[in-house]
Formats: sequence, structure tokens, C-alpha cells
Amino acid sequence: MELRFTPEEEAFREEARAWLEAHVPRGPRPAAYDLRARREYDMAWQRTMFEAGWAGINWPREYGGRGASLMEQLIWYEEYARVGAPEASTTFVGLKHAGPTLMACGTAEQQARHLPPILRGDVVWCQGFSEPNAGSDLAALQTRAVIDGEELIVSGQKIWTSFGQIADYQELLVRTDPEAEKHKGISWVICPMGLPGMDVRPIKTLAGNTDFCEVFYDNVRVPLANVVGRLHDGWRVAMATLSFERGTAFIPDQVRLARRLDEVIALAREKPGPSGRGRAIDDDELARRLALAQAEVHAMRAMTYRSVSGASRRGMPGAEGSMIRLFFSELVQRIDQLTLDILGSESLEGFDREGVPASGWAERYLIGLSQTIGGGTKEIQRNIVGERMLGLPR
Amino acid sequence: MDLMPSAEQEAIRSAIRRVLGDRVPTTRLREAMVQDTPAMPELWQEAARLGWFGLHVPPEAGGSGYGTAEAMLLFVELGRTLAPGPWLGTVLAADALAADGLDRGSLDRLLAGTLAVAVADDPEGVLGETERLEGVIDGVADLDAADAVLVVGPRRVGWLLREPRLEIAVRVRPCMDPTRRLGTLRCSGAVVRALAVDAPRLRRLGTLLAAAEALGVAERALEASVEYAKIREQFGRPIGTFQAIKHRCSDMATRTEAARAAVIWAALAIDEGLVEAAEWVCMAKILATKAALENTHDNVQNHGGMGYTWESDAHLFLKRARFLEHAFGGRMVHLDALAAPWRADS
Repeated sequence: MELRFTPEEEAFREEARAWLEAHVPRGPRPAAYDLRARREYDMAWQRTMFEAGWAGINWPREYGGRGASLMEQLIWYEEYARVGAPEASTTFVGLKHAGPTLMACGTAEQQARHLPPILRGDVVWCQGFSEPNAGSDLAALQTRAVIDGEELIVSGQKIWTSFGQIADYQELLVRTDPEAEKHKGISWVICPMGLPGMDVRPIKTLAGNTDFCEVFYDNVRVPLANVVGRLHDGWRVAMATLSFERGTAFIPDQVRLARRLDEVIALAREKPGPSGRGRAIDDDELARRLALAQAEVHAMRAMTYRSVSGASRRGMPGAEGSMIRLFFSELVQRIDQLTLDILGSESLEGFDREGVPASGWAERYLIGLSQTIGGGTKEIQRNIVGERMLGLPR
Repeated sequence: MDLMPSAEQEAIRSAIRRVLGDRVPTTRLREAMVQDTPAMPELWQEAARLGWFGLHVPPEAGGSGYGTAEAMLLFVELGRTLAPGPWLGTVLAADALAADGLDRGSLDRLLAGTLAVAVADDPEGVLGETERLEGVIDGVADLDAADAVLVVGPRRVGWLLREPRLEIAVRVRPCMDPTRRLGTLRCSGAVVRALAVDAPRLRRLGTLLAAAEALGVAERALEASVEYAKIREQFGRPIGTFQAIKHRCSDMATRTEAARAAVIWAALAIDEGLVEAAEWVCMAKILATKAALENTHDNVQNHGGMGYTWESDAHLFLKRARFLEHAFGGRMVHLDALAAPWRADS
């Protein structure tokens, strides 16, 4: 066991830091409501990384990626977040879900056609997995696809599709064999957005934004050649995708959370205490909650390092990813709630008549409520930890 | 960077686990804990033979020459089995005597298992830091089993042989943790030898080892709950199928892993001499005792009515967690230490 990085890893860190500091976008990122502008901003940044050979840090070299080791990925993501580089949002599904799935299960043609544009920042992908009646129980999905010659005819509805309004492609799970059992009879399909019969409607979240959408399909014709993996074998293909989500991809979020906690501590040194006397930081309860949060942020980093250490030895990520994800998501919410306790009634200010927060702490708190829902609810994560790590019966 | 144990560290850990598994089944522990002094002399002798007291002591001083990480592994295992005895004081004294280098006789006896040491944590310097100790310090664990006391003051570490002398009075009484006794150390001008060792460093080491022991307690409580949840049936199925139990076990596992990662990190930071080690040790102690307390409470609950009995081991782990919470500073103390720089006026 050791904490030190090797000289090679330190050199990699220097190289990554120097490049990031020189190239990170200087201009402000367009606001969340201006999704087209945000897309252009994210695509330009992706192109900058691509041209310098940093795009697809975790993608193998044969697919044009950087082919970095897990330890190098960890270092890259730490430095990435440290310089304040843009959060992966519009590029996330392409780089972390769809791309890796195509590498694992796609044909050579599918890979050649779709992987380079993802890496170059030419296209945005979105996800079409969840449905109104298939959330945690994803395999209950009902969107149908009937084979008609060389085409699939898709009918149904998807929901919680982030950036559906500005995406070019969707990774779509459809039921191709309604007679088969639940987990069989599903197919994973590349669905170009904007096909006739598709209708994308934004959903307003409790935070007032419209980052995600519901998508309706009325006899949408998709080429049969767009099925990835075997027909009816989409559940296995999708599971390959979901396991990528538990790798190193959340390290930037962790670094950002650590930095946010530093800001909250600074806030507690400025704001008055709960009784109006002294500063918030002089209140014992607030100070100890901040100290505990600091310890937990540190523990999360240590857990991630341990997970990466283990994965580097085994050559594959372990189920502890669910544990870290669970710990992270609840920690985010604890810190957000603590922040609002420090702000006191001031946290109620700054909303417009549409319920949209002007930005800042209240917005983060509201958005943070999605942490324990999206990408597998905390209940599902606890099931995974209980069943896959502890071996408890289903 | 690698936070997983090496093959050699795994071997050390499994050797320790094997010996403790043989020597400290809870039937033996329950026999030992009703003695006046809950010790296990055979285990202590074997530990000496296997070099456990000097794992991190340099070879030239008679130790094995490993680091804090290996001593940490020992204390995790001690916590898992609730092994009784003044382990913490003895291992810390080995470190201090080796660093001091002037009392090879005591160090040799300690490493040979014939000199056991209790530790009196005195962060406020209640006993003073002159050559004569004056005052009372309470809650010193295992004084009954100790031949010497290591007094860890704010700036100085004192070495006090407990041979019969008038200036030292010891009162020993039962503790909530039934595997040990608590003592009061009353000094009236007892001559103490100052050891040439950095007191804050030794306190950090003691805090880290107490955290490691708490981690072991948390680990065993988790395992006991998971084992029970797989076999105990109600409503015709194992209780582990119920999310109320499954999710609680999952939370136990998550907080254990958080504590484990923090304890390992802090141990390595001490070994690598990093300036942040002080802060990281505080964090490790906070998270490990929190995990130990919460897991042992949950473990009582997961065992239902059986968990509430004296016969079940669940309470022994809970009471050890309670004890460790106070070893080298409770959570409030460490949380306040972390927050102190933020509260200083700018």
C-alpha cells in the first residue's frame, strides 16, 4: 500500500495539468435554458480535446481514444475538475454510454460510422431507456418495435431523456419480442433523432430547468441494421453500458464536491449564525457538520482510490462502484442541506415567478435532489450492494 | 498509488487472523472477561513470539521493521476479535522506547511479552510536564494489566514504571466494555522519565491505531449481521430478503468501506511523513468510531430479541465501540480540531 504516485504518473499529471490550464475554455458556459448555445460550447471543447489527443481518455487507442490506464484516468479527471473544465453533460451519453457499448457490441460498420463523430464532438447522444412504467424496473419497458422488412417500426414512449431536444442520436431500448420473458425480447437500437413520428417534449424539473424530455414514438421507422448486438439481446447489451457508469467517470463530480465544500466553509465564515450573533461557523453544530462533511468528502476520495487500485489489479471494476455512488449521492444532499441551514431564510430569495432560481446555492440544492434518483435510485444501489457485494438473498 | 494490501501485507493479516481466531474464540473471551484482570497470557506470549508488539519498530531496536500500515492491520484484527489486553499502550510504548533508545532493557522486556503498558492520554497536561507528575487522570484503560504507564502529554511523553511506590495510587473498576477495566491514576510527585519522542506524533499513531481497532469492530458487526440475515427466517424466508434489513446491511457495508479507506489513507500518510497526516488521522478516527457505533447498534437490531441478550456477542462489539469512541479523543474532539482553523478569526 502506498499513497505516492509513480514518477511516470506524476509526469502524466504535469502534462495533463499544463495542457488543461492552457486550453480550458475561458468564456462562461451558456446558461442551462439556452441548450443550443450550450451544445455548441460543449462541442467546441470536445473538438479542442480531440485535436490534442485527449478526447476519449478511457477509450482504447484502436477506437481513437487516449487509452489511458485507470490510474491515468483518475489523474486526468482530478486535474480536469481542478482547473474547472466544463462538466460532461451533453457529451456524457456518447462518451460514457453509447460509445463504449458500440465498442463492446457493435459491428465494424456501426463503430466506423458512429465512434469518430462522438470523439470529435460532432454529435450528441441521448438515452432512451426509462419509460413511465419502467424506472427502477427497467426490464418492464413496453415501447414496441415490430420488424417490417429491413426496418423496425417503433411505437411507445420514453422519459427522463437528458438533452433530447438537442441530440442527434438516441440509444434506444425497445421490446422486439413481446412473447419472450421480461429480460429477453429487448433490443438495443441506434435511433437517429428527428425521424418522422418522433415527438420530443421537454419536462420541467422541480429546479425549474428543462434539461430532460419525454420522447413519443408513433410508428417511427428505424433501419433494422441499427440494432446493436443480436436482435432480442438488448438487455445484455444495456447492462454492458450501465457498468461503464460505475467506473472512473464520476471522479470530476467528487473533486467538484470537495471544492464546493470549501466554498460552503467560506460561506459559513461570512454569514451570521443562526441566532443572529456571531458567524455561522461559530455555531458548534454547524461547525461539526461541516467537519464531518469534510471527513466524508475525504473518505469518498479514499474509497475511489481504493476502488481504482482494486480495478487496476483485477483489470475490471468491482461492485463497490455502487457503494461509492450511493455514498456520494447522499453526501451531496447532506452538504446541500447544510448549505441552506447556513444561509437561513436567505435561501428563499432569488427565484423568478416561474420558480426558476437565479442560480447558486438554492439551485444546486434543488438539482441535488436528483442525485439519489438518476442512474439508479439509492434504493436500487442498496439492493446492488446488498445482493452483489454482501451476497444477501433476493 | 495503491490502497490495496500487497501480497505480503495480506499474508501478515491472514497470519494474525489465524492466530487470533484460534486463541480468542468468544467462549475464551467470556472466560477471560470475568477474571479480575481480563487477560489472555498465552495469547500475549504468542504475540510476543510472533513480533506483534514491534511490527513497526526498526530491526535494530528489535522490531520487524514494517510500517504503520502493518501495525494498523494488527489493530483491525484485534478489533474483530475483541482480544483483551493493553495492546494499544504496549505497541505505542514499543514505538516510543525505540525512538528514545535509552532504555533497551524495558524495550526488550516489552517485546518479549513480559512488560505490558497502559497508556494515559493527557492532551491537556493535567499531570504537568515537569519531572514529577502531580494530579489525577481518570479513565485509563487496562491499568490493572500494566507494568508501566506511558503518559502522552501535550508536548512530552513520560515513562512511568508501575512498581510499588508511594507517589502512585491506582484505583481500578469495571468498565462498560466488560473485556477490560478502567483505572484512575493518582500521582503525587511521581518521578517520570521523559522519552525523546515527539508527543503529537505518538498521539497521532495512537489515534490511528484506535481507529483501526474500531474499524475491525465495524467489520465484524457487519459480517455478523450479514451471516444472520442469510439464515434467520421469518414469514417463510430469510430476513435478508427484506429491504429493511438488506438496505441496513448495505449502509453498514458502505460506512465500513468509507472508514477502511480513511484509516488506510491515514496510516500511509503517517508512514510517508505527509504534513496533512494530522488532519487525516482525525478524519479516520471520526469515521471509524462512527462506523463502529452505528454498525454495532444496527447489529443488535438485526438480531432482534437475541441481539438484546447477554448471550449474544452483539453487545460485546457495541461496548467495545463505545470504549474506542473515547480512546485518544471522541468524535466531538476531532470534529472540533478539524473545524478550528475555519473558526479562527481572519
